[in-house]
Amino acid sequence: MSFHHLDQYAHIESPITHTPPVVRLLGTVVVAVGAAALPLGAWGHMAVLALLVGLIALLARVPARVMLLRVSGPLAFVVLASTAVLFLVPGQPVFHAGPVVVTDAGLLRFGSAIGRAVVALGAAVILVSTTGFPDLVSAFRDLRLPRVVTTSLGLAYRLLYTLVDEIERIERAARSRNVGAGARRRRQLAVGIAATALTRSFARGERTYRAMLARGYHGEMPSLRTRRVDVNSLIGLGLLTVTVLATTISAYMIR
Amino acid sequence: MQGDRCLAHIPDGFLSAPVIAGAAVLSAAALAVAVRRSQSRLGEQEAPILGAATAFVFAAQMLNFPLGAGTSAHLLGGVLVATLVGPSVAILVLFSVLLVQALLFQDGGIAALGANTLNVAVIAVVGGYGSYRWLLALVGMGTRRMIASAAAGAYVSVVLVGIAVAIELALSGTLPLVPSLVAIGGIHLLVGLGEAALTAAILAMLMRAQPELLRRESPPPPVRRKWVYAVTAVSMLLAVTAVYAASARPDALEAASRRLGLGESVASYFQSPFADYTAQIGGAWIAAAGGVMVVFAVGFGLTKMIVRTRRNP
Amino acid sequence: MANLIEITDLAYRYPDGTPAIDGISLSVESGDRVAILGPIGAGKSTLLLHLNGLLLAQSGSVTVDGMKVTGETVREVRRRVGLVFQDPDDQLFLPTLLEDVAFGPLNEGKAPREAAARAHGVLADLGLAGSEGRAAHHLSGGQKRLAALATVLVSRPRVLVLDEPTGNLDAEGRAKLVRLLQERDETLVVATHDLEVARALCSRCVVLDRGKIATQGDSARLLDDASFLQQHRLTVPLGDRALRGSTGTRSPKNPHNH
Ligand SMILES: Nc1ncnc2c1ncn2[C@@H]1O[C@H](COP(=O)(O)OP(=O)(O)OP(=O)(O)O)[C@@H](O)[C@H]1O
Ligand SMILES: [Mg+2]
Repeated sequence: MSFHHLDQYAHIESPITHTPPVVRLLGTVVVAVGAAALPLGAWGHMAVLALLVGLIALLARVPARVMLLRVSGPLAFVVLASTAVLFLVPGQPVFHAGPVVVTDAGLLRFGSAIGRAVVALGAAVILVSTTGFPDLVSAFRDLRLPRVVTTSLGLAYRLLYTLVDEIERIERAARSRNVGAGARRRRQLAVGIAATALTRSFARGERTYRAMLARGYHGEMPSLRTRRVDVNSLIGLGLLTVTVLATTISAYMIR
Repeated sequence: MQGDRCLAHIPDGFLSAPVIAGAAVLSAAALAVAVRRSQSRLGEQEAPILGAATAFVFAAQMLNFPLGAGTSAHLLGGVLVATLVGPSVAILVLFSVLLVQALLFQDGGIAALGANTLNVAVIAVVGGYGSYRWLLALVGMGTRRMIASAAAGAYVSVVLVGIAVAIELALSGTLPLVPSLVAIGGIHLLVGLGEAALTAAILAMLMRAQPELLRRESPPPPVRRKWVYAVTAVSMLLAVTAVYAASARPDALEAASRRLGLGESVASYFQSPFADYTAQIGGAWIAAAGGVMVVFAVGFGLTKMIVRTRRNP
Repeated sequence: MANLIEITDLAYRYPDGTPAIDGISLSVESGDRVAILGPIGAGKSTLLLHLNGLLLAQSGSVTVDGMKVTGETVREVRRRVGLVFQDPDDQLFLPTLLEDVAFGPLNEGKAPREAAARAHGVLADLGLAGSEGRAAHHLSGGQKRLAALATVLVSRPRVLVLDEPTGNLDAEGRAKLVRLLQERDETLVVATHDLEVARALCSRCVVLDRGKIATQGDSARLLDDASFLQQHRLTVPLGDRALRGSTGTRSPKNPHNH
């Protein structure tokens, strides 16, 4: 289970981390949506957006190694998934790869998917590297997402860590009792763990609820945040939005 | 890697701008409805239940369930959670999970969040949970029946996700509809088995270990059995007729959409850029899928109406 | 002055039928320091939950500061009684420590700025300055305990109710916590297995067994009475028992407090 990365890199000091989380979040969404919405084959525009992401990464002082590492995992999946596109899309055959025929239309879609994915993933990785879970939740609050969502995420964060601790303990205990042999046993173990996780998580939720009541909770999650968005961040976000919008829209107009 | 689960979490790069926007609008509307409905349902206990359910779905989606022969299954959990906390809360819980997965785990795209929400949170929960309640009304209450219905509901939910993903990819012009449906829908026909088995196994364990968790669920509406049977029979008949009509007249959908005023825009999405390919077989597929969904909606609505009239005559 | 806490004939049965408390009467005066002792499952936690209205009396009554604890008074009661739970992970449920500690004051209607200021102050008092923005899972066991204590101290309750405050703590963490609590002047009710802690913190001991008060009295006297301790299955720290070997038919004598 790999979510320990969440709190590892969120403390890089940079101009980007000095902006409020909500601005970082919106910036990420703008870039990701701008990239994902590019038309097929807009290579130049993809490059412009990729350059933009690279610049922001520099500004955010995210190490190149971290960027590459984080982008490569999900990207591998994108590549894997889009290989199907290469030959499932009819068009002019370009070359034969064994029994399958790769078409020009397939190549176009393959390349576009990967290009858009790289840019969007890059933006997302900058966000993870600069923004921790708690900050993200406060950004959701600033964005007026439904209270239900911010509350559940705010509580789920801590619950998740205690839950994963417990799951790891159960797994270790089971393994030490030699339950691990055979797919059948392993499957039973996994189902058992999931069921236990469910009951534990609800039991913990119940106890947490008591602890909340004990401290005067009356159905309304209070929040400490009063942080205002500063002008500089707003200008930065505005510039970014305009650049991305201009790039994406021009890609449609040029065609 | 997360492998097959990612199929249900579309990454960025595969969807076109109109699909991104359309799905976002649809899922935002569905979420708004879910927020309104969940408030009456949860009351005071809202916060801890939400937190617990969200943490669970998060953790469960990370678990790997070995199926043997080197394959493994993952849980999406929509129907499972809906049986515990009700569908509207389940939608919100799944949305919360998707949101964080997209932003912090790069699991599912940020721009594709709307589509992923529509598929995994809205369609899976509404369709899966709807089938569950329907089946429960058909077969009656009881532990085993409940587990079996939930498993079937879970299966339906995953298949619906597959169909939805396939349609979205086709609408985006990334894949032609038929190969998309066959490949993605087909995989989900298999993946759904895992979801069904896991949902059943976990529910069975819960019923033994902590039955009070499940009691949050109100019993299914006390509908007269024969009414449900009648509605189901009629729906089936309609579905079969629809599929037959569609396959007999491949352009049925186009004709229908033209009559409905959807005009070329929708139809052209279905066809472009491979008009002849989709028009021959595609129409039947769409009509079949669409027909069954429509029939389901009509049937479910009728069931609801019957329940209401029975309750306050 | 009237007693701060007055419990009369309290009984509580869990929904599954377990009679956890079975006729308890107890009074605690302002400034008292009372240890609730008893073997596991004796009903200690259940009793404590009644003190701030998380459980309401099924029969008998609980009165805090002159108010009978009922559905109407719980919010007032909870301002006066600060309850620290057995497991600090239950108490620290928000993403950062600062938010956790400010939770109580915010619920009382304090402005965010004031709540944050108070939270900073309490965390600094407990030696947790600098950890405000950290998440609880990045803290040590001892720090978690302190943080859980901070979430309650910040509301300045009149009574501090602690459930197993030294559970899972090592010797150093335990000593630190005890020293800290010795310096506070709130009225104290502590449920514990740890006889040393009871002796160090409390002047009076109440021994529960199977939901009833088995005996109560002066800490020093009760805790030196070996046969009494054995009779009520009160454990001593494992270290001492281990040192004496496993022959353990003789009741281990309580170690002296340093
Ligand atoms: N939620 C519950 N439902 C049913 N029974 C319970 C519940 N909580 C506690 N009990 C039972 O009530 C009795 C008293 O439990 P309680 O937790 O008060 O004991 P305790 O003295 O605090 O024990 P420990 O020292 O282990 O913390 C026990 O028999 C326990 O099994
Ligand atoms: Mg206890």
